[in-house]
Amino acid sequence: MNANAQRFRRACEAKAFDRNHRAIVAKNTATYHAAVARGLARFADWETARRRAAAVKWEVMNHLDHYLEEFERNVRATGGHVHWAETAEEATQIVLSLARQHGVRKAVKSKSMVTEEIHLNPALEAAGITVLETDLGEYICQLRGEPPYHIVTPVMHLNRQQIAETFHEKFGTPLDATAEELAGIARERLRAEFLAADMGITGANFAVADPGMIVLCTNEGNARLTTALPRLHVAVVGIEKLLPRLEDLALFWPLLATRGTGQFLTVYNTLVGGSEPLHVILLDNGRTQLLADVEQRDALHCIRCGACLNACPVYKTVGGHSYGTTYQGPIGSMITPHLRGWPDWSHLPYASSLCGHCADVCPVRIPIHHHLLHNRRNAVRQRLDPPLQRWMFRVWLWGVQSARRYAIGGRLARWAMRLGLAQPLARAWTRYRDLPDPPREAFRDWWRKHERA
Amino acid sequence: MSARENILSRVRDAVRAEAPRPPSPSEAPVWPPMGDAETRFREEFVALRGEIVESLPEFLAGFGKIATDDSDLVAAACGRVGMTVPVREAELGVTSCVCLVAQTGSVVVACRRSEERALSVLPPVHLVVARRSQIVLDLEAALGVVRRQYGGGLPSLVSVISGPSRTADIEKVLVLGAHGPRRLAVHFVNE
Amino acid sequence: MKVALFIPCFVDQFYPEVGEAMVAVLRRVGVEVCFPAEQTCCGQPAFNTGYWEEARTLAKRYCDIFDRYDAVVSASGSCTAMVRNFYPELLGELRRASANTFEFSEFLVKKLGVTDVGAKFPAKVTYHDSCHTLRELRIKQEPRALLRAVRGLELIEMTEAESCCGFGGTFSVKFPTISSAIDEVKCQSIVATGAQYVVSVDSSCLMQIGGWLRRRKLAVGTKHLAEVLAQT
Repeated sequence: MNANAQRFRRACEAKAFDRNHRAIVAKNTATYHAAVARGLARFADWETARRRAAAVKWEVMNHLDHYLEEFERNVRATGGHVHWAETAEEATQIVLSLARQHGVRKAVKSKSMVTEEIHLNPALEAAGITVLETDLGEYICQLRGEPPYHIVTPVMHLNRQQIAETFHEKFGTPLDATAEELAGIARERLRAEFLAADMGITGANFAVADPGMIVLCTNEGNARLTTALPRLHVAVVGIEKLLPRLEDLALFWPLLATRGTGQFLTVYNTLVGGSEPLHVILLDNGRTQLLADVEQRDALHCIRCGACLNACPVYKTVGGHSYGTTYQGPIGSMITPHLRGWPDWSHLPYASSLCGHCADVCPVRIPIHHHLLHNRRNAVRQRLDPPLQRWMFRVWLWGVQSARRYAIGGRLARWAMRLGLAQPLARAWTRYRDLPDPPREAFRDWWRKHERA
Repeated sequence: MSARENILSRVRDAVRAEAPRPPSPSEAPVWPPMGDAETRFREEFVALRGEIVESLPEFLAGFGKIATDDSDLVAAACGRVGMTVPVREAELGVTSCVCLVAQTGSVVVACRRSEERALSVLPPVHLVVARRSQIVLDLEAALGVVRRQYGGGLPSLVSVISGPSRTADIEKVLVLGAHGPRRLAVHFVNE
Repeated sequence: MKVALFIPCFVDQFYPEVGEAMVAVLRRVGVEVCFPAEQTCCGQPAFNTGYWEEARTLAKRYCDIFDRYDAVVSASGSCTAMVRNFYPELLGELRRASANTFEFSEFLVKKLGVTDVGAKFPAKVTYHDSCHTLRELRIKQEPRALLRAVRGLELIEMTEAESCCGFGGTFSVKFPTISSAIDEVKCQSIVATGAQYVVSVDSSCLMQIGGWLRRRKLAVGTKHLAEVLAQT
């Protein structure tokens, strides 16, 4: 088992029966689900909305070269800059180079999963540039030295008390500070940072080809301030974020907000266009690999709403940090082997009961659980499965290809169970659960006896 | 080969094969029918904790440092206050808007000049001065107005604002005024 | 009407009483049944673990056995989903056996138009929607309609009826801790209803749920839908 898989298992072991963690997550997801139910009621036809969105994204992804070129043309036409980065390393170098050119010492950042993906913060810090997260949840993560727990709500796993403790430790603020007071403390501190920053860094929720603008959706207004105040704005944008036209946002904004938080719209839906201080960095970093996989290309339709995380029984049990990678939950488990390599990450598609709730809630209808199955098949094709497991399935196949061998095998299994001999498999089961009492005869035995008569 | 060439080349190679097309969506309306636009706007806007300002002089009297944009509408409504107060010191920022969206209770602001970008988000209170005729039914209509108003050259910032700034990051407790304004108000001028 | 019985390997070997109950109920509503004894496994364990070549072999075998029947009735929603929803992709074609395989409750309600099978079972019961049955086959109302027609039975809905029990096939032993933690949450929901039995159309879910309930000596029994409907 590779190192990532081992780390993942250890993390899951630690978290699965952490009932405090489970209770906090359950409370937060229950609030989320209630809000989403209210949000869905605003649609006359949610299914049609999803289908339309899926169709738009299909159009983009299957003509992505056209839309990327159109986007670039339109951004440049209004004075903005477009850079292209094949890898995380390249993207980071472009940001550093821009920072150097513009004499940047301080940067503020609006929440961006793609900048987590490329590990931008450590690279900036190593170059002597301070980076401050401005989204409240990300700011709290930064104070705690933790990665975000969830792609939309970064501190879903913390309660008010834990956050107050962190603030108390860093700023000496009262331990009994309310949520209102804590947000107020963050607002005051970050306001000064916004005003002093040389560079604002964002991702983009969407990138609209016509006209060439990036789209930022926040509730806090931190993206507005990140783009409005510093003299330089750098946006790192995955190439899959493209939408064809401005008008498509009339559908995608409510879709994202509804499944993201249960709101009709997030408070600030902002289009930022080509103008002197805007630098867009279009990032590949493995996305073209996924694009080339015709079967799973639709995973790139993802609008990063986080709904699949909130629906997933595995995510809600082990939490976001256990995955050990930027994109968590169902969509993360599905895309990570493609983006970061199969040998190191093929364990993630297996960590699912395939319940399919993710696919049900996805606003762009990605069949996530089916892709997890495809990925398991891919792992086996690449011979990444444990040799013992491969051998066991060969033997099993030989057994079930004949009714006689199967019947004998079944009888042996039941006999072994009665004698308590069914060990290696049983230990995994019996640690927490009882096994059923093995019956004396199989259904086929009963049928043969009673039906022939 | 540059990164751009490499990426585009890989993209072109990939999309040579088309992924299975998803089933065509029906023509059914996604949104339920809406009643009167102004009524709906007021309902949605107030539900988002927006404030409708009936008497502008009374409202303005409550603020010492006011910064405004340079639109004729705001100038006429408030008297020429202008940007005499630096935005970062203003207690109140006053702007006009492109339109208002009934369906979502939103205000759409746009600005070309970088100095104005912070006006609707930095001061703790944001007031929008608008005409009732600027209310449109839904987001689709609103984006249409943006297109028509600016033609080929959209301003560098267009923001659809739905209520005062907020966060629920701490235990999902709603807190207003996260980074943007704590209060968002709209005043309809008499026409 | 004559149907072939598809008794999944799981039910055949570990829960034969479910198969026996299904036979009794089908006969009671006037359906003639036969059991092609050549059947073994639909291939789902291999398919779910990524062994699609092996699964394909078994899929062909299943279709060769069941193609000749107009209707095949299965005691498992999960295996029905495998045959109906995944065989076409696996085999690259739609075989008759695949199109004509039905889950037991679906067959009674949608094919026969029957919801009252003359059953009597005075007990408080809650129903667990197994994920494949709910999300692959879109079966939700049919088992409930059948349960509501059972004399003396009180059906109580649990919160989180649609939540996974954590079984997931080989997931239950590959990631047993996660599987069991999900199981715990499910069982808490079940116990909170005050029901005497939890019912499902999937014996695999019942094994997972029952395994946790038994370990903790909780006073809730498990019953497959067929077993409840067979009671008179």
